[in-house]
Amino acid sequence: MRVGPSQDEIRRQNLGALLRHVHVHGATSRAELTTTLGLNRSTIGALTADLAGAGLVSEGTPKETGRAGRPSLVVRPESARVYAYSIEVDRLRAARVGLGGEILDRRDLERPRGLDAGETAPLLAGALKEMHQSVPAGALCVGAGVAVCGMVRRADGLVRLGPTTGWVDEPIGAALADELGIDVPITVGNVADVAAFAEHARGVAAGCDNVIYLYGDVGVGAGIIAGGRRVTGHGGYGGEVGHMVVVRDGARCECGSRGCWETEIGEYGLLRAAGRSDARGREALLALFDAADRGDARAQTAVRQAGDWLGFGVGNLVNIFNPEMVIFGGTMRDLYLAAAAQVRSRLNQVGLPACLEHVRLRTPKLGEDAALVGAAELAFERLLADPLDVG
Amino acid sequence: MSATPLLELRGIDKSFGPVQVLRDVAFTAHPGEVTALVGDNGAGKSTLVKCISGIHPTDDGEFLFEGRPVSINSPRDAAALGIEVVYQDLALCDNLDIVQNMFLGREKRSGLVLDEPTMEQMAAETLAGLSVRTVKSLRQHVSSLSGGQRQTVAIAKAVLWNSKLVILDEPTAALGVAQTAQVLELVRRLADKGLAVVLISHNMNDVFAVSDRIAALYLGQMVAQVRTTDITHSQVVELITAGRSGNLGLVEAGAGSAGTATGSTDTTSGAVR
Repeated sequence: MRVGPSQDEIRRQNLGALLRHVHVHGATSRAELTTTLGLNRSTIGALTADLAGAGLVSEGTPKETGRAGRPSLVVRPESARVYAYSIEVDRLRAARVGLGGEILDRRDLERPRGLDAGETAPLLAGALKEMHQSVPAGALCVGAGVAVCGMVRRADGLVRLGPTTGWVDEPIGAALADELGIDVPITVGNVADVAAFAEHARGVAAGCDNVIYLYGDVGVGAGIIAGGRRVTGHGGYGGEVGHMVVVRDGARCECGSRGCWETEIGEYGLLRAAGRSDARGREALLALFDAADRGDARAQTAVRQAGDWLGFGVGNLVNIFNPEMVIFGGTMRDLYLAAAAQVRSRLNQVGLPACLEHVRLRTPKLGEDAALVGAAELAFERLLADPLDVG
Repeated sequence: MSATPLLELRGIDKSFGPVQVLRDVAFTAHPGEVTALVGDNGAGKSTLVKCISGIHPTDDGEFLFEGRPVSINSPRDAAALGIEVVYQDLALCDNLDIVQNMFLGREKRSGLVLDEPTMEQMAAETLAGLSVRTVKSLRQHVSSLSGGQRQTVAIAKAVLWNSKLVILDEPTAALGVAQTAQVLELVRRLADKGLAVVLISHNMNDVFAVSDRIAALYLGQMVAQVRTTDITHSQVVELITAGRSGNLGLVEAGAGSAGTATGSTDTTSGAVR
C-alpha cells in the first residue's frame, strides 16, 4: 500500500512553491498567491511567516492599489544570493545574483584560449572576492552555479570534453570549491542547457514547455526542454546537436569526427567559407555579418549557405522534438538574423507541416546574460526545493 | 493565432486622378502577429498604409476593426482606434529629449504645469516593457542617439498610447547589422505582447526573421497573403516581381482585371504544397 506524503513533506513542497513563485514573478500580494497556488489564506500567511523568519522573503504594504478594501500584504524575495559563473571560449563572467533573478554585481574577464580548469578557478575566485567586499552583512549565500561550454557529467560537475575550450576531464566544480573556500554546493551545467533553463524560467520561452535553445559559440549546442523538463540524457551529456553528422565525409570537426553540423554553421565553418580562415573569435564573425550586409559577395554567399544549413538542422530537430519555440542564442542569434530568409525557406522545405504548425523562431530575451541567469537558477534549485533546509 | 483579425480590409480601391493605385485590395492583420507587407517600388505599399492611417481617403472598400465596420477619415480617427504608424523618417525632434519626444503634442498635465514625473515614469515603463536596455538616460537629447536607438524611441512612442496596431515603414532601412538585430527583436516583442504589427520591408531577411504572415502587393493588387511557414524566399521574390509563383498569386499573369487575386484572404498550406 502506498502511503501518502507526510504533512512535513507537503509543507516543504508548499514553501518551495511559494518561494518559486515570488522568485520567478517578483513581488506578489498574498491575495494573488492564494489564488495562483490554490492554498488557503491562512496557510499562505503561515508559509510566508516561516520564509520571512528564515530571511528569504519580506512583507510590506503595497503602493496605492486604487481599489476599496484593506490592501493585501505584498511578499517580496529577499537577501538570499548565489554566485553565478559563465566560462566561455573567449571570456569568463562572474555575477552575484539575488533571489528574484536580479544581477546585483558582475565582473567580466578575458579568457586566453587554452586556459585549463586549475588556472581558471583562481581567476573566478578573484572576481568573487572582489564582489564579496560590497555584500551587505547578513546576506545569505545559498550556492554557486557554473555554466561551461562543454559536456558536463551531471553527478559531480566534471567537464568531460569541451572541444572548443580544449578541456578534457577538467574538474572545474572541485577546483572552484577548493579555491572559493565557501561552504556552499557548486552546480555545473552546460551553457546551452543552462541558458535554455533561464529563458524558460524568465525569458522569451516563459510558459512554453517544449523548447529548443540553440547556443552558438565556437561550436553549437542545444538546451532542450520537453514537457517542461530539461532533457540532458543519462549522464548529462545530451543536446550536443552541433555534432549531428550532416555531411558524409565532410570537413573535419574538432571532436574528431567529420561533417558535423557545426563544421557548416559554427565559427570556423563560416569563416572558412568566407575565405577568412585566419580570423578567429566573435569579433571576426560580427565583421563577417557586417561585410555581408554591406554587399561583400563572398561574405554574403558564406552567410546564406550557413543559414541554409541552419534551417536544415533546425528542420530535423523540429521534426524530432516538435517544439513550440526554437531560440537562437549566442552567435546563432546573429546568424539567424542575418540569414533568416534562408533559414526559414529550408526549414519550410524539410519540416513536416504538422510539426511546423505552431513552431516559433525567436531570439533570446535575456541575451548575453542567459548563461549567467541560468547558472544562478541552477544554484537556486536546491533552495527552492527545500527552502528552510538551506542556509 | 486568433480567429477574428484586428484589422480587415475588403475591396479597397484608390485612384490618384487617372492612376489607379490600389485595386480591390484585401488585407488582414491579426493581434499577436507580425504581418509583413512586401512589394516592389510603386506597388502601393505606402498608399495602403496611408489609407489605413487615415491620410488618404479610399474610393471604395470596407474597413473592419475588431470585426466591426469603421470609417477612417482622418489620422485622428486612426489614432482613436489605436492605430499608430512609425514612418521611415521617424519624425522625432532632435532638440528635445526622449520623454519630450514620446509625449510630443500629447503632454500630460497636472493643473497648469506639465506632469514631468508621470511622463518620465510612463516612458521608463514603456521602454522597460519592451526590454530596451540600450538607452542610458531618458533625458538624453534625441540628437545624441544612434540610428537604432532613435528607431527604438519612435517605436516606443507608438506603443505608449495603448495602441493595438502598429505599422512600421522600413524600420531597418538605414541601420547597421547590430542595430537591425535590436530593432527586429523589438518588433517581435511588440507582437508577442499581443499587438498587431504590420512591417513594411524590402529586406527578405527581416521579413522572414520576424513575420508570421506575408502579404505581397503587385501593381496595386494583393496577390497573396500567406503564412511565413508556408512559403520560401524565392516564392516571395517571384510574387513581388511577377505577381505569381506556382499556384500562388494572380491566376493568369497579365490578365489585369480587378479581382484576380486568389490567395487574398488566407491561403492554407495545402495551396502551396
